[in-house]
Amino acid sequence: MLARVAESLNWMARYIERAEDVTRLLAVNFNALLDTTALDATAGWESIVTMNGDAALFQEIYGQASAQAVIEFLLWHPLNPNAVTACITHARENARSVRERISSEMWEHINRLYFLVREVDRAQVIRSPHEFFREVRDGSQAFQGVAQATMTHDEPFEFIRLGTHLERADKTVRLLEAKYLDVSRLPDGSAETALQLIALLRSCSAFEPFRRAPGLSLETNRVVEYLLLSRAFPRAVLFCVNACLQSVGRLGDAGPGLVSEQSRPDHPQRSLGRLSADLEYLDINDVLGERMDAYLNQLLARLNGSSADVARTYFNTRVILADERPKQQQMQQQQQG
Amino acid sequence: MPNTGASILDKTYPLGDFYDEMFASPDEIRPHYRVLHDYLQTLSPADFAERRRLADTTFLNQGITFTVYGEDQGVERIFPFDLIPRIIPAAEWAMLERGLTQRVTALNQFLRDIYHDQRILREKIVPADLVFSASHFCRDMIGVDVPKDIYTHIVGTDLVRGADGEFYVLEDNLRSPSGVSYMLENRTVMKRSFGELFARYGVRPVEYYPQELLNMLKAVAPQGYTDATVVLLTPGLHNSAYFEHTFLARQMGIEIVEGRDLVAHHNQIYMRTTRGLQLVDVIYRRLDDEFMDPLTFRKDSLLGVPGLMNAYRAGNVVLANAIGTGVADDKAIYSFVPEMIRFYLSEEPLLHNVPTYLGLRENERDHILANLDKLVVKAVNESGGYGMLIGPESTAAQREEFGARVAANPRNYIAQPTLALSRHPTVLDDCLEGCHIDLRPYILLGDKVTVVPGGLTRVALRRGSLVVNSSQGGGSKDTWVLRE
Repeated sequence: MLARVAESLNWMARYIERAEDVTRLLAVNFNALLDTTALDATAGWESIVTMNGDAALFQEIYGQASAQAVIEFLLWHPLNPNAVTACITHARENARSVRERISSEMWEHINRLYFLVREVDRAQVIRSPHEFFREVRDGSQAFQGVAQATMTHDEPFEFIRLGTHLERADKTVRLLEAKYLDVSRLPDGSAETALQLIALLRSCSAFEPFRRAPGLSLETNRVVEYLLLSRAFPRAVLFCVNACLQSVGRLGDAGPGLVSEQSRPDHPQRSLGRLSADLEYLDINDVLGERMDAYLNQLLARLNGSSADVARTYFNTRVILADERPKQQQMQQQQQG
Repeated sequence: MPNTGASILDKTYPLGDFYDEMFASPDEIRPHYRVLHDYLQTLSPADFAERRRLADTTFLNQGITFTVYGEDQGVERIFPFDLIPRIIPAAEWAMLERGLTQRVTALNQFLRDIYHDQRILREKIVPADLVFSASHFCRDMIGVDVPKDIYTHIVGTDLVRGADGEFYVLEDNLRSPSGVSYMLENRTVMKRSFGELFARYGVRPVEYYPQELLNMLKAVAPQGYTDATVVLLTPGLHNSAYFEHTFLARQMGIEIVEGRDLVAHHNQIYMRTTRGLQLVDVIYRRLDDEFMDPLTFRKDSLLGVPGLMNAYRAGNVVLANAIGTGVADDKAIYSFVPEMIRFYLSEEPLLHNVPTYLGLRENERDHILANLDKLVVKAVNESGGYGMLIGPESTAAQREEFGARVAANPRNYIAQPTLALSRHPTVLDDCLEGCHIDLRPYILLGDKVTVVPGGLTRVALRRGSLVVNSSQGGGSKDTWVLRE
């Protein structure tokens, strides 16, 4: 398929997922912060902005964090490129340019979501945002469900799946990065800890699955382990990495007659495969405590690296032509000889 | 057939001085319309409204739209559709088919000639300065050989029927004519709404057009490619015909590409896919000449492929249609098509041209300027109902302005008598009205000439309007060519 189409599908999926994740983050923390008296609410709001990597921009626009400022900034501030409204607009633009490649049901859903965020009464959302949060989340989830159910599960679909899971993994890591330090300072078993852990789990809809998972108690270390290493929970980092790996595997090798693309050092199969293995065999005790921050940072960098590998391998299509390959191979042989 | 009560045929309209496609006189229905007429009589207005609703829903659900410019970044609209089909009897179609084949063959030879030996210019059949000064004459095409000498792979000739009942060619449209998707969709909708009528009439099918188009495009691929890679090059989703581009690409099962999806390398054209670069053999392009290659034509084109023209000249890629075919769409050069037919084919033209006065010729220019109130004056390179003066409907100020333009730049203007386009019964606000129509059949030129039996009948949906273009309130009808 065309590289441009693959790229648009990938970004359509990423933006939809991003909109949903930002919304859920806001929704959950809105609730948690209402319950909090001991923790400084301002710090809580600030951490939400930091999580999305836009702290500097926020600082510049608003100075101090407040519920209203954070909601405005993350939902629709025109200068915030990752605001929910911007994400959904980008997702729709990408979908529009590949409209003939997605099902009409998908197009309908993304359109509906677009008009929802564009035409909503913003003053009303600030007063009572929950209805809006729910609608955005429903819209995104319906879109993803409809994509599953109405698209042929072939190449275009794998690029959607790839985009969704790369974004999801990234957001889960960022969430841990923002919350871990605070939560790990609290003593396990206290009401405050429980409250924070529940908010953390709810931020990735993981509360109920976590409770049902056998043998897991509501402790900071277990929660972190679950969000990083679950193979079954769809927002856990390992689950997402494995899903990406599977998609890349299905996308298969290069065209006939070319050198095996998967042996290229920057093929995403390599970076994702290594990441999956590292997570699979990780001893969680090695990264707990003060080492967590560095570990999560490194994880984020590796996920970004895999995204870049995906872009280089499938979207940029380097101008190396079939008739130049023999010449290249000859050059390599000369150096070896 | 018993008349079961009220029907949409109850109120007819005065025929006036026009040729009416259904009614020979107020009491006489033309033979090939009788079955349709009887059938419509059995439908109550409510029945008809129900079918109307069914058809509208189908169009809406399938997203059959076009873009209207000038309104907030372009708005997508449904192309208006009239449910009463236009019917062409077999014998009349056979004549049109022969005439169109003859005309397209001669035009293709003309294009090959002016870009090679220029015999027709040297023998002064067509004035050389007229050709060289045509804005779509492309010097870069001189001496370029195109595969199988085919320039105009796809043609959409505009025909009108005059008050005398004869067909006239209005325009040849040798550059990526649009509208064929409406022809196909209209048929789908009509089969759903009036399935039982198809059984009573032997209507020739048009549905195979995309397959025939693909076969033709593969047949003109550069030598040695038995399984050619064909792509459709679109300007992109903001183009008014984007729906048609995606429709045709889907129907043919080929990739729809934008300029940025293609790269030229060593005089070959490749498309950028997720598995690397893939060689492209044939490009069905819906992009104007001047945007095709910024290295050769407009430097500011963001839609084209740098280096495409070199690959084209090297014979490594086929463009359908060829570059430079627009020269024969020049309305002054159009007036010489009958001469071309005589010159290249030694035959008499089977289809009429509309009599045309050239601003270029002094005596004809004087005639134009003296009769601005009676003639239709057209700029030679405009189409779609733009850049023209309809004399009888014009104001003195408009005539003065147009007269000045003609006098200042006579080569760029022609004039034709006002045509009394034929009319066809059409439903406007639940009543039957006679609306003016034209006909655009689609002709494919490959190893053989294929004229698809049917075409797009465009209809002026504003009462009394002579302009059938969709940008100016036109709609369309399904066109039925009968077997016998």
